[in-house]
Amino acid sequence: MTPPPAESVAAMIRPAPVQKDSKVNRDLLRVMEGTSLGYWVLLHIAVFFMLAAGGVWIYQIYKGLGIAGYAHPVFWGAYIVTFVFWVGIAHAGTLISAILYLFRAKWRNAINRSAEAMTVFAVLTAAQFLGIHVGRIWKSYFILPYPNQRALWVNFKSPLLWDTFAITTYATISILFLFVGLIPDLAIARDRAKGWRKILYGTLSMGWQGTSKQWKSHNRTVLHLSGLATPLVLSVHSVVSWDFAMAIVPGWHATIFAPYFVAGAIFSGFAMVLTMMIPVRRIFGLEEYITDYHFENMSRFILLTSLIVGYAYVAEYFIAWYSGVEPEQTSFWLRAFGPYWMSTWTMIICNAVVPQILWFKKARTHVPTLFVVSVLINIGMWFERYVIIISGLSREYDPAVWGIYTPSWPELIIVAGSFGFFCQFFLIFLKLFPVVAIAEVKELEIHAKAHGAEGH
Amino acid sequence: MAEIDRRDFLKLVGAGASVASAGCWQDPVEKLIPYVVQPEEINPGRPVVYASTCQECGVGCGLHVRTREGRPIKLEGNPDHPINRGSLCARGQASLSRTYHPDRYRRPLERDAEGSLAPITWDDATARLAAAIGKASGRVALLTAPVGPTLGGLIDQWFTAVGGGTRVTYEPFAPEALRHASETVFGVASVPVFDLSDTDFVIDFGSDSLGTGLSPVEHARQLAAARNASRAEGREARLVYVGPRQDTTASAADEWLAPQPGTEGIVALGIARAAIDAGAVPGGGLAEATVTIARQLSGFDPASVEKRSSVPAATIRRLGAAIAKAKRPVALPPGVALTSRRATATAAAVLVLNAAVGAVGKTVRLTAATGAAPSYRDVALLVDAMRSGDVEVLIVHGVDPVHSLPSDSGFGEALANVKLVVSTASLPDQTSVRAHLVLPDHTPVESWGDAEPRPGVRSIVQPTLRPLFDTRAFGDTLLDTARAMGAQGLPEGSFRGVVEAAWQDTDWFEVLQRGGVFASVAPATGTITEGLARLEFAEPQLEGEGEFVLLAVPSPLLGDGRGANLPLLQETPDPITKVAWQSWAEISSGAAEKLGVKTGDLLAVETPYGKIQVPAWPRGGIRDDVIAIATGQGHTVGTYASLAPAGTLTGPARGVNVNDLLPSLTDESGSRAWLTARAQVRAAGGFQRLPFTQGTDNKRGRLLGERISLVALASGESPWAANESPQEPHGIPAPGGHGEEGAAAAAAAGHSEEHEMLRRYDPVNDSTADDPYRWGMTIDVDKCTGCSACVVACYVENNIPTVGEPGVLRARQMSWLRIERYVGDGEQTLKTGRPGIQNSEKLGSVDVRNSPMLCQQCGAAPCEPVCPVFATYHTPSGLNGMIYNRCIGTRYCSNNCPYKVRRFNWFDYQIEGWPEPMALGLNPDVTVRGQGVMEKCTFCVQRIQLGRQNAADEGRPVLAPGEVKTACQQTCPTQAITFDNLKLPDNTATAVAKANEGRTYHALHVLNTRPAITYLAKVAREEGHEG
Repeated sequence: MTPPPAESVAAMIRPAPVQKDSKVNRDLLRVMEGTSLGYWVLLHIAVFFMLAAGGVWIYQIYKGLGIAGYAHPVFWGAYIVTFVFWVGIAHAGTLISAILYLFRAKWRNAINRSAEAMTVFAVLTAAQFLGIHVGRIWKSYFILPYPNQRALWVNFKSPLLWDTFAITTYATISILFLFVGLIPDLAIARDRAKGWRKILYGTLSMGWQGTSKQWKSHNRTVLHLSGLATPLVLSVHSVVSWDFAMAIVPGWHATIFAPYFVAGAIFSGFAMVLTMMIPVRRIFGLEEYITDYHFENMSRFILLTSLIVGYAYVAEYFIAWYSGVEPEQTSFWLRAFGPYWMSTWTMIICNAVVPQILWFKKARTHVPTLFVVSVLINIGMWFERYVIIISGLSREYDPAVWGIYTPSWPELIIVAGSFGFFCQFFLIFLKLFPVVAIAEVKELEIHAKAHGAEGH
Repeated sequence: MAEIDRRDFLKLVGAGASVASAGCWQDPVEKLIPYVVQPEEINPGRPVVYASTCQECGVGCGLHVRTREGRPIKLEGNPDHPINRGSLCARGQASLSRTYHPDRYRRPLERDAEGSLAPITWDDATARLAAAIGKASGRVALLTAPVGPTLGGLIDQWFTAVGGGTRVTYEPFAPEALRHASETVFGVASVPVFDLSDTDFVIDFGSDSLGTGLSPVEHARQLAAARNASRAEGREARLVYVGPRQDTTASAADEWLAPQPGTEGIVALGIARAAIDAGAVPGGGLAEATVTIARQLSGFDPASVEKRSSVPAATIRRLGAAIAKAKRPVALPPGVALTSRRATATAAAVLVLNAAVGAVGKTVRLTAATGAAPSYRDVALLVDAMRSGDVEVLIVHGVDPVHSLPSDSGFGEALANVKLVVSTASLPDQTSVRAHLVLPDHTPVESWGDAEPRPGVRSIVQPTLRPLFDTRAFGDTLLDTARAMGAQGLPEGSFRGVVEAAWQDTDWFEVLQRGGVFASVAPATGTITEGLARLEFAEPQLEGEGEFVLLAVPSPLLGDGRGANLPLLQETPDPITKVAWQSWAEISSGAAEKLGVKTGDLLAVETPYGKIQVPAWPRGGIRDDVIAIATGQGHTVGTYASLAPAGTLTGPARGVNVNDLLPSLTDESGSRAWLTARAQVRAAGGFQRLPFTQGTDNKRGRLLGERISLVALASGESPWAANESPQEPHGIPAPGGHGEEGAAAAAAAGHSEEHEMLRRYDPVNDSTADDPYRWGMTIDVDKCTGCSACVVACYVENNIPTVGEPGVLRARQMSWLRIERYVGDGEQTLKTGRPGIQNSEKLGSVDVRNSPMLCQQCGAAPCEPVCPVFATYHTPSGLNGMIYNRCIGTRYCSNNCPYKVRRFNWFDYQIEGWPEPMALGLNPDVTVRGQGVMEKCTFCVQRIQLGRQNAADEGRPVLAPGEVKTACQQTCPTQAITFDNLKLPDNTATAVAKANEGRTYHALHVLNTRPAITYLAKVAREEGHEG
């Protein structure tokens, strides 16, 4: 997809009178000021779910994983489903920050901050699930290759170990990315803030003065980080997909998994950005900065990745049939028509059918439609992982021990709590840090000013 | 900020440290205290084995009680014992847990004024009993299970000493009708011994001889050996089953007839007639009886038998000819489920068949009568006496009549008329909770005693554990009571002395070592008596209306209900339906469709005697007009037997008690009749989720539980040869040699150095090159009857916890070894929606494959590479080791295991699995797994280690072939499992596989997991391939 020329961005902004820097600053920093009742309600709901989930988790550690709905032979359940879901969500940020940056897609500037923040929070949320999922969290440090006198080492053949590295690497890079991007904006905030915020922003902006030398270093750092992060977009979810593809479970053991999962991750990531940013834009009146044009571009990405994901669904079935392997064929038949047919059809309709509406410009520019579509995609992508993991495990090679898994209420609370955990971070972030990258928006404006309406 | 000076700082540090240390606690300090004077035979770490006798049912198998540091931890069969020859059934394996049961009565109890049981001292208790007996002036009754000869003799002496009373022996499943039939036909009032060794034709008229029959362990062993020997000699040992339901024996049969229940005797006579027509000659000194027999059989020509029983005349003729031709035929009389009101005639008919084909004296041995035989007629008389107030003191020992007698018998009500009810139960049961005085007996591993299961077999019961609680042997209770009454004429000393005195004629120490005196006794002789002519061979009468015949099936695990409070037996799935912890009613799939019910839908079953609701289990392997409900459930007492809330003993019933539906009716000779009622069955409109462990018997044609026909076997072409051939990756030529053939050669030639993916598939290659071991197993699916003894043995040996009904509902049972029951090759059907139970059985046809599934110890194990922390890894000896301490519980290994043999500790079963004092019975050689770790079979690695240590002590570098036995192998009645070091050229496992070439396959071989277990396919002995 070719990014639109920068002029068109300027064109979008041009109808408004030329803004002074201070107006941009004011508009964008206003988000951070004051808290409405609605904000507090939302924050309380999020924190409530997070605390409920935390309580259930503590109970689970005390009592045992048996409080979850696991039933032999389905030994992975809603926790791993939600883990993969959040890792997927985490993809939009890096894609927007790194790849689109390298492609110089200027439209990303309005949304990259929120997307990066979401990435960090989604990775943190996902990482929780590794701990929630394991049987003995108090021994889970065994998975780290730390030197020890017992001469114990980790198994580098295990995709779960790759996963550990992939997730920690990704978390590190995305936190760095978010932080480096924040520095100039933090300096702006510092200059206007008082009290504890002054100390916070002062510390975090690390003495940013906006000198050209600093800008030069900053830009170079961002560029290099983008270069580092780009392969991660592809690698992290590839590695996560190998958790499944490397196993011999029918329905998991497929070479298509890496690209399929990466596309799915970007798909769900963009959908989540839409789901979060549509209300934020509305509530904080950021229509000037996050325009329908941004949403439309994201919908195009969603449409593209939806097609890839849809293709993967078809390809999986084709290969299952074409392979002539009976357990594989049975697994896929039962996926669509067996005990988990509802999840499967939810997944297909939400991920492959509903997004087709985005072929129409009307739909792409109609914000309520976009919001509904994005929420449906989020649901569909959760079910995609549910279908792959649960339906695969429940119908394996030995029919005598086919089983049925249904999530239990503690699992559902923890899954709900993960949304609380994520939203809580995001809500706090909204009030602490500029949710739109001020410096980059200004950059666009300068660009527009310099080149004028007529463009090049 | 205020300054903190040195003193403040120190104060803060001190306060902080004390707060921090108060917040933590330490586990209580437990000390290992060595013996001051080490007992001679106890060597810490080494098991000491004592010979004893199993008391779980009346068969009387010999035991080896394995003890560690003074505690029995496992029961195994006594290899010297002629009945079980080292094997043990599931019930025997589980019976050890009686001793460590949390429900046990820990001291004598007396019903106090408020009606609850309160502790009392033994002196007071015996005094009270003695006083009551003294006052009763002979109106004393003693209701016992069949007891050993010594205790039986003591009871008789005791009655004389205390002034008389009634002695009633009661055993719910006693083959009384058979004893009466033997008396009527041959004039010998005892249960004949049926010998299946070297047999070539067995016809079982519904006794489920391999599951719940007269001597299941013995018969299963004999039949398996006979089949094995005959196949090697190119002959055939054929098993024909006659019965309305496909049970364990029918599943193992070569042919299954399902006539109208109750007509088995008619079919037997028809076959006898056909056999005589085909030239059968009665042997065993019965030649002169031919006339009597022929006269008796005149009305039983195949055509009329067909009319009466619905078995085709051609089949009768064919079976008659086959049994006439057989050299060592055996016909087994009906078992409990089919004892109708004409049970004696039916059993007599089968004995006549045996006589007609010359089996009597050869495979059917008449025996001299031993001991007090159980008699239901006596029980009925006792109930009458109790009702009319003629019993003042009732002592109940070893039975639970309130549960196991039909409610119609009135025992429960009559019990209220007895002034003093005394129970000697060691575990609470439905009778003991109504007793006024509970004088708990020791459990078998704490007791002295003996048994004489058949003439010539005298078996000792010796204690291996000092009594855990303040209990007293029943014999001592009797002696003490008599002494308290001042009665004369009883032996001095304790019951132990009485036992020792009774064995005076033997070498006592040899008896203790060997477990008894085992001599072969010449069979009693009998001759056909005129009593036979008095029997009427006709269809039995069934009470009540209704489309269904009610079949009360003896449970192979819970028995008459005495196993119901043992969690191991509750958790072991029924060998046929795979249901655990619950009752179910089997009806045919057709009948279920008519009633509009599916699996788990509640059925209302009504007979004139009672009404119950029970979930339906539709299946193909049962007649359309039969509803079968297993005995054993429906208890309201017991932590595991009932649905008692935690911490209490009584609660709602778990499952249903089929005795609630049955009348108290007897057959011609007064033995209890079970096949007595018709039932009205309709859908009750509810649903109950049944905890089952296998939801389909359709293996979808996958390489699991295979079968091969004798013809195909004879042709020498194995259908699995392609799979058994080397696993060559594309483009790489396979080295020479083939499958099992190559094993020994490879072992001799040494280890293959190629990359594991390139090596030819040969288990020998899958351990470290310089390691002398590669452990492997051969499992013969043809021998496996599904009896589940191995499953229970594995639980006991490996400290596997039970998870209860809620756990099994989530398929969380921890069994490392399960028995999969597949019917046929299966179809690759693709059904939609939520699956029901799939059942492919068909009435009258048998194709059941019982396939034990346990860790295959794969050479290329899918579980190993996926573990991020190396908690599961390949040991140098080729096992898939499992390091519990290293496991963090990602459960990836289980996902990647195609055999699904890994189990996860969802809860802390260390605490929940073994309530006090159950933990005393744990095997100290096996780690008790904590919460959150994976576990699985490791071929009893603790036994391998023990063997290796012994070998090292004796200076032998390598274990000898067959030296180590896994728990499952050790107990298997049919010896379906062989385990050995595949690297030894003369190892037993490879030898069995080689002897059965053509039947070998590896489960799910296409996945290239290189399993160490070789399966031998079941053999289909087709119709017309006889002789």
